[in-house]
Amino acid sequence: MAFIEIKNLLKRFKKVVAVNHVDLEVQEGEMLTLLGPSGCGKTTTLRCIAGLEVPNEGDIIIDGRSMVSQGFVHPSKRGIGMVFQNYSVWPHMRVFNNVAYGLKLQKAPKKEVKERTLQALELVGLGGLEDRYPSQLSGGQQQRVALARALVRNPKVLLLDEPLSNLDAKLREKMRFEIKSLVKRMGMTAVYVTHDQAEAMVISDRIAVMDSGNIVQIGTAPEIYKNPANKFVADFIGIMNFISGKIVQGPQGTDTVHVRTEFSEKVLCSADGVPEAEPGGTVFVSIRPEDVEVFPTPPEARENVFKGVIAHKAFLGNFLFFFVKVNGTMIQAQVSHHLPQEEGQEIYLSLDPQKCMILT
Amino acid sequence: MSRGNVILSAILWSIVALLILYPLSILLRESVIISGTDAWGIGNYLEFFQDPYYLKVLGKTLLLSTFVLLTTTIVGVPLAYILARYRHRGKTVFTALMLLPIVLPAFAGVFAFIIFFGKYGTLNLLLMETGFFKQPINFIFGLHGLVFVQALHMLPFIVLGLSAGFTNIDPSFEEAAEVEGASSFRRFITVTLPLCTPSYMAGAVIVFLWPFTDWLTPMILGQVDILPSVAYINIAYHFTDMHRKYMGIVAVVISAVFCISLFLLVRWWVEKKKYTGLSKGTTSEGRVIEPGPLLKTGAYAYMILIAFIVLLIPVVLGLSAFSRRWVFEPFPTYWTLENFRLILLESPILIKNSFLFSGIALVFGVLFGLPAAYLIVRTRVPGKDALDFIITLMLAFPGIALGVGYLLAFWDTIPLAKYWVIMPLALFARRLPYFLRMAHASYLQLDISLEEAAEVSGAGRFRTFMTISLPLLLKGVLVGVMMFFIMAFQEISTAVFLYRGGWETLPIGIYLNWHRGMEFGIAAAMAFLMIAITFVLLLIASRIGGNMLKAAWSTDEE
Repeated sequence: MAFIEIKNLLKRFKKVVAVNHVDLEVQEGEMLTLLGPSGCGKTTTLRCIAGLEVPNEGDIIIDGRSMVSQGFVHPSKRGIGMVFQNYSVWPHMRVFNNVAYGLKLQKAPKKEVKERTLQALELVGLGGLEDRYPSQLSGGQQQRVALARALVRNPKVLLLDEPLSNLDAKLREKMRFEIKSLVKRMGMTAVYVTHDQAEAMVISDRIAVMDSGNIVQIGTAPEIYKNPANKFVADFIGIMNFISGKIVQGPQGTDTVHVRTEFSEKVLCSADGVPEAEPGGTVFVSIRPEDVEVFPTPPEARENVFKGVIAHKAFLGNFLFFFVKVNGTMIQAQVSHHLPQEEGQEIYLSLDPQKCMILT
Repeated sequence: MSRGNVILSAILWSIVALLILYPLSILLRESVIISGTDAWGIGNYLEFFQDPYYLKVLGKTLLLSTFVLLTTTIVGVPLAYILARYRHRGKTVFTALMLLPIVLPAFAGVFAFIIFFGKYGTLNLLLMETGFFKQPINFIFGLHGLVFVQALHMLPFIVLGLSAGFTNIDPSFEEAAEVEGASSFRRFITVTLPLCTPSYMAGAVIVFLWPFTDWLTPMILGQVDILPSVAYINIAYHFTDMHRKYMGIVAVVISAVFCISLFLLVRWWVEKKKYTGLSKGTTSEGRVIEPGPLLKTGAYAYMILIAFIVLLIPVVLGLSAFSRRWVFEPFPTYWTLENFRLILLESPILIKNSFLFSGIALVFGVLFGLPAAYLIVRTRVPGKDALDFIITLMLAFPGIALGVGYLLAFWDTIPLAKYWVIMPLALFARRLPYFLRMAHASYLQLDISLEEAAEVSGAGRFRTFMTISLPLLLKGVLVGVMMFFIMAFQEISTAVFLYRGGWETLPIGIYLNWHRGMEFGIAAAMAFLMIAITFVLLLIASRIGGNMLKAAWSTDEE
């Protein structure tokens, strides 16, 4: 049985449905990320797990114990640790008292409180700063205090609500790995909320992508990147070219589908995952920029080759990025080798049919 | 919604019902009684609006309000701008001085100005000594004097609101206007001032309503045909003529209705117009300008002039308090402690009463205000907005109306007015918004996730409040406590209807000494004492608050 089970969770704010009948399971020791744009319901879901919001319908079961249906369990009785977006380190308490707060409430012996608090501070790399006030710490240090406070009671469940969004980019990237290894070392089950897809991919075992209160797709980072469930997921994770078109001919036993687009009568696409592709339906031919191949002259023995004009070309260090106009449609391509062609010159694109997904 | 919150809400509502709604409903009921009969109807109101005398009074009160608002605005706009924007020395001292009139009792100012600006007051005597003036000039008695005294008393409301507005505007709004090529004057008129109108209006409405509340200043300055004074005279002096009493009550109800309507109208408008949400984060200091030498000199002169007038109040009262028989002399010549001996040794009861009543009212205020602020900001209990609304209305509610309402309501059925506890109860009801608003505002600024973090860490709701919310709210709560106590300490409009022999407070003592034949020395000594006490209270509160908070909030530069 899963360690955290969310069953048919519904949360309404006045008339707005924030979380729409969501089901979700998190395994013991797993780190799961709720990913989505702002307003998608990810934070509300997390707050329901914490008990900071009371669900309108559904149940939440943590470690076999119902949190809602058999009497609402107050956050203080759920045995969870939580890290908030704006740290929420209490400004009127020293670092030590901030971290020790929960232990003192458990009426742990004084000696133990001290030992465990200092241990937790050591763990997050704040050893020796226990007598400071939060105002004497940097943003990154305050975030570590918040983390130590959440970890100190050894909670079975750790909830993190965009904990890195207030940090600068460099520190953010470093902290991702630190948090992940810390949580794994302590063997905690963690739910992590973020709108940053790169963060989600680095930190989580599995990602649940949310949109307008629904979970659209759950899977590991490679699964979601390679096989997005729909256009929304593909757009949210990584960069994707979307070319709208109509299906002319279904798979009919082959592994390709024939699609008519604005710039070409015939684009061949992978039939993978589209068994129901019926002729006439509007779809999006989707391909990642790194899967678009670029040639100075027409390549031979390839399908889906189109001539285009370079609209923009950008040098980004380890690769080149092209915006290519093909009969009025803009296609992005990422190339890791040097190409001498400049803006305004002609170029040939090859879209490997096996990498052209059909999404709706 | 937890049951605890509902019970809390029920308790707070019953207090509001008993101490605010019930007396006001009685007041309304009395206003429709036709004297000499058992009938009731709107006859009294019809008479009010048909009688040329009452109409004249209403018109004159509106005129007074307009003049007071105009004066405070003309004086206050440059002052607020200088305080908020110019880099100058002594900013704290000047700001504190400009705000002084708000904490001084209104009548203290009148006494001081009569002594200084009166017919044979200091200024006139000095002028006549020069020989250029044969006759004394009437500086103070009359409508112009009334405008002057009331405007000075209300000036802080304009300056406070506007300078906060000037400071809080996102500098980029003005910078954008500058980049577009607007001159500094044009920028001020077209961008800065319009952006500040919401904060200006919030203060302006309080200023405008003051003449509808202040009954004592007009009476002292011989302008009795102002609405609250007329109401006071009708009710307090004519208890034998029942019809005049009812007309007084009608006048009270009409000014109360007028005050509340205007207050609501402006509040609604301000809410609609708030621009603050439009900008991304602002700098704490706002835009500060280094003015040119000429402008700077002018600014200093302007501030010093106003500071001088403000300081006249404590200085003149001090001179008067430590002297006797200060008449027909520009400055006193006979120094004595006799006034203080009389107050402190022969009737210390006034001081004791003032502290006792205000202190008890303060305890009530905190016990009511903290849970109320919690309920309003942090819960979704039905009716909490109405609770907030009613308490906020008390800001605009004339003290006379409350006093008369209490007198009528708590005499027969609920005979609270026969016991001294009515005094602190009335002070509590009248000054409650001063505490609640502060607690409310600081609660709003308290990030809710700080409390949630405590709950997740295993703390229950009460413990969270005691260990997290309250310490973090301390600053706001302390300021609220201070404002509440000072405002309760100087309260007279309500108390004057309720006191009985032995319950007199300092403000009532001052009034009675003036009333009983111009015992200026003693009245001035009492006023001086009040100013001194108010000052010490302010000092102690900022001391305690400052020290306790400094440790937790200061940022060490590293």
